[in-house]
Amino acid sequence: MKFRGIAAFLLILVPFGFASVVAKAEDTVKIGLIEPFSGPIAAVGRDTLEGFEYYADYVNARGGVLGGRQIEIVPLDNAMNAEKTTQQLRKAIDDGIRFVSQGVGSNHALNIIKFLGKHNRRNPDESILFLNHSAVTTSFTNELCSFWHVRFDANVDMKVAALATQIGRDPSVSKLYMLNQNYAYGQAFQSAAQQFLGERAPNVELVGDELIVPFGKVLDFTPYIAKIKASGADTVLTGNWGPDLVRFVKAAAASGLQTPFYTIYGGLPSSIAGFGGKDGVAVGIKQITEMHENDANFNGTPEFEEMNNGWTEYSGKSMYSERLGWVVLMFAMAVDKAGTDDPAAVAAAFEGLTYEGPGGAVTIRAEDHQAHFPMVISTMSDQVERPFLYNNESFGVGWQTDAWVTADELTLPTTCDMKRP
Amino acid sequence: MTAPGTFVARYGIWIFGAVLLLIMPHVFTSSFALNLMSQMGVLIIFSLAYNMLLGQGGMLSFGHAIYFGLAGYFTIHYLNFVYDDIAPYIPVSLFPLLGGCVGLFFGTLVGYVSTRRAGTTFAMISLGFGEMVTALTLILVAIFNGEDGIQTDRVVGPEPLGISYGPNIEVYYLIAVWVLVAAAAMYALTKTPFGRMSNAVRDNPERTEFIGYNSQRIRWLAFALSSFFAGLAGSLHAINFEHVGFEQVSALTSGLVLFMAYIGGVGHFAGPVIGAVLITFLNGTLTTYTEAWQLYLGVLFVAVIMFFPGGLAGLIIMHQPIWRIDTRLLAPLTVPYLLFIGALLVSLIGFIGLVELLIYKTSRLGAAHDLTIFGITMDPSGVVPWISFAIVMAVGVYAIRKAFPVAAGAWNTAIDQARARAAQ
Amino acid sequence: MESFIFALFNGVLYGMLLFMLASGLTLIFSMMGVLNFAHASFFMLGAYFAYSISTYVGFWPALIVAPLIVGVVGALVERYGLRPVHSYGHVAELLFTFGIAYVIEEIVKMIWGQVPVPYDIPESLNFTLFAWAGLDYSAYRVFMLLVSVGIFVALFALLTKTRIGLIIRAAVSDPTHVATLGHDVPTIFMWTFGFGCALAGVAGVLGGNVLGTEPAMALQLGPIVFVVIVVGGLGSLGGALIAALLIGIIQTMAIFYDFGINAALLAVGIEIDAAGMFRDFARITTAQASPVIPYLLLVLMLIFRPRGMFGTRDV
Repeated sequence: MKFRGIAAFLLILVPFGFASVVAKAEDTVKIGLIEPFSGPIAAVGRDTLEGFEYYADYVNARGGVLGGRQIEIVPLDNAMNAEKTTQQLRKAIDDGIRFVSQGVGSNHALNIIKFLGKHNRRNPDESILFLNHSAVTTSFTNELCSFWHVRFDANVDMKVAALATQIGRDPSVSKLYMLNQNYAYGQAFQSAAQQFLGERAPNVELVGDELIVPFGKVLDFTPYIAKIKASGADTVLTGNWGPDLVRFVKAAAASGLQTPFYTIYGGLPSSIAGFGGKDGVAVGIKQITEMHENDANFNGTPEFEEMNNGWTEYSGKSMYSERLGWVVLMFAMAVDKAGTDDPAAVAAAFEGLTYEGPGGAVTIRAEDHQAHFPMVISTMSDQVERPFLYNNESFGVGWQTDAWVTADELTLPTTCDMKRP
Repeated sequence: MTAPGTFVARYGIWIFGAVLLLIMPHVFTSSFALNLMSQMGVLIIFSLAYNMLLGQGGMLSFGHAIYFGLAGYFTIHYLNFVYDDIAPYIPVSLFPLLGGCVGLFFGTLVGYVSTRRAGTTFAMISLGFGEMVTALTLILVAIFNGEDGIQTDRVVGPEPLGISYGPNIEVYYLIAVWVLVAAAAMYALTKTPFGRMSNAVRDNPERTEFIGYNSQRIRWLAFALSSFFAGLAGSLHAINFEHVGFEQVSALTSGLVLFMAYIGGVGHFAGPVIGAVLITFLNGTLTTYTEAWQLYLGVLFVAVIMFFPGGLAGLIIMHQPIWRIDTRLLAPLTVPYLLFIGALLVSLIGFIGLVELLIYKTSRLGAAHDLTIFGITMDPSGVVPWISFAIVMAVGVYAIRKAFPVAAGAWNTAIDQARARAAQ
Repeated sequence: MESFIFALFNGVLYGMLLFMLASGLTLIFSMMGVLNFAHASFFMLGAYFAYSISTYVGFWPALIVAPLIVGVVGALVERYGLRPVHSYGHVAELLFTFGIAYVIEEIVKMIWGQVPVPYDIPESLNFTLFAWAGLDYSAYRVFMLLVSVGIFVALFALLTKTRIGLIIRAAVSDPTHVATLGHDVPTIFMWTFGFGCALAGVAGVLGGNVLGTEPAMALQLGPIVFVVIVVGGLGSLGGALIAALLIGIIQTMAIFYDFGINAALLAVGIEIDAAGMFRDFARITTAQASPVIPYLLLVLMLIFRPRGMFGTRDV
């Protein structure tokens, strides 16, 4: 009696399971988004997915691409594991997805670039285009550059060059202390900083240059704070992110260190949530981004204003990565320009493509498929018009513009020798 | 002696395994499935190697990924050296042997100091070494290239018999062959005096000493051999993905292989094989359906430790005495077992539903979407889904409490009958 | 000289934090023989509970209530999880706590999300008590130091001077005997485990706002806590204290006095090719290596003296 009831219940569930699998619209242009949706930093992956879905909806509501086809975002979870990224890439190929996007974790991006290099050569009819939205390793658009890769974020060298430019202009900086994570990214940051500080901030003295074991292994940053204090530095430059940034800032605030921190990732929602707005303001966190909500250019055009207000309404979050919008909007532009969803044609259409954002023009350089755009350096403050909102909760702090760095100042030479099919 | 009978009894399972490995890629043809099956093969070798320590030697290691990963690094470097004409050419098919030697080398080195004691001391040393090596892979960029890891192209040198290892199917069959070879070798090892002594050292080191064996030597040997096979697996892993990164040496991989061996069952040779196949499958496919797959894996692991310490293989072996005597004795078990499985499924539905609702609540605070669980679309902000799933789970748990004694009783009856028959 | 004392002082502050993290673990081990892999997870639970409670009623009630909840959770885990596993032996117990650590992390993510929570130092203690060498030391850090010392003294007294401590120790060495005297040994173990977890909870409440409260914190802190109790000698409270201080001081000194390994190698006549594969060895300094030092210490200690500094038995 009871068993029968249970069996009947189970049988009822089965068709529902199938229904959800079958009910997928055909003839969409699919972008496979390979990000961590589970594991330690799933929040970042999910925020990204939310952004992609929002902007895809935005494009679709305005007629889609190629005269009415819809853009569909297909999430593919890599659980922050490099092998899984490759597996999901194969799954994307099986499912006939011809465009993939990824950005969280340069090692994953590197795997995708290397994999596509082989795959697209071995299977030219099934070639795939990689839209890199945030992986910043410089070599991707230098010696490792590929026709099948388009990068929408500024690379490490460009970001560090921008920071160095601003440090050179900032009259309050004379002694600089550098602290970075001891792994590929941190070392790249370090050597780029050594180079660009020399070129763009020759008057600034580098009084400290440290590397630490990365990924949360350092629990107590007080000794580093003491060293910074002892060195007489008036400014800190760090590429740290995650717990390595959070604990660094917390220790600095607790010890009353009053030197501004120039950072790349200080504005990540998880960073602010980690060290807290109060400590961030006390230390004086600065970040570099393509836009922030309190900039004078922010509501540059009515379309942008509408798009961005819609985003906050949709997600309950302030805009953090404006470039997620570019990825989808420029993708739509490139597909329409190419007149087809053939990846090779779309990749070619990206070359020289320009999108007019509120901060200025975003252009994909043809030689290396690297986006070029102006960037803004801003300081965390609790005296702002729009405090940063995350999941409908305000951090109570937001950003104030220090200065803009123009796209020309960020344009660096490339060693890319691109092979086009 | 009826030769065919013994032959089938002795080698039947191996032949079955070989045929299965041969035809699987023709059943599941997608690139994703092929990759998943290749990975299963690699992890079968690795978890079998791990079980040489845990199951057969009684050594719990939290850092066995070191040998797996270091062999991977070596393989990739060597491939790149061959590519740049720095190192002499070796056929790609033989790389796993090379990787095995790397594992053996480091295993011998570390094993010398870590196997002096068993139990918790050993576990702690393995943890310490694991942490140190992971940190080094990040710091020594020239050798390990940090979190990016290193890439290679496995298509290198001449192509014996037209096998270039470009297509994945060729790599799959390479792995399949090595799975058979390695599994057979490890199985043979359990039958040698060394294998028996390894068990003896696990169960009672003092007595082993009394009969004239040096228990530390035996642990060391077991450790070194296990590292050899771990290295072999690591090398295949590197060839399969053409990439190796710090994840391969990290605690994550060490934990994964522990999960595989234990869930599969450490008490039986085939246990880790079952575990590797199951966990790799879940690992590869569950992510498509849920963000909480790691929680489900963890719960499965804890449940196995608490309720089935013999693992899945142990559950199967439990019934061996029954079917040995008469397979018909298994028939009365069907209904009680189905009842129990049904109850388990119902409680799982309730549990999974609640977990998914909770995840939805914390991860999508901003946008309000509808949520679809088991094909049923619901509004997660209401209380109805919560109460419904809670009720389903409560019913399921209640049913488990009722069904379990029935199932256990049926098994007891069957085994008693089997014993009675055997006594006749 | 002053800078040396300054470094020593910072090392002690950090070491006492480590001791606070490890105190509950060493208690559980010395009483029950269970190496609780999930200890850092209970620490994390303490921090999260404290965060949630403090948003409603403030820090001080949280300091009391959060450890109590963690203690009850720990006792429940012991009663319904660890006790049934006990009969399968120590390896199964270790594995069980390993699995529980994994599950707790996932549950924390489900309830509080993956992003760190803004758990801050209480306003009432967030003022500068004194400054030394240009660094401010807040009242909160000193409060943490005092609590750590308090935990040590209280535990020491509990175990050696009180009747409860006597019964617990007797229950470890001779459970059947204690049972015949009318004591309920399993219940004693349950509450011991719960108490150890509650101590982890206290450490979580106090340390969470300094180290950052996020789901990965258990994974990051778990191994170092093990190092402390293994190096100190399993089951030795004094050993754990000294090991924690030692590790704290060594790590801090390694950062303060930043020696390059290259200099040491050159001194013994080894020169590393600046462009070769091993060039990174030459670049390592003691500061960079400082997070690895505890593990080196652990391995060396286990090889040469498996009972740790003050242990009465092997690990």
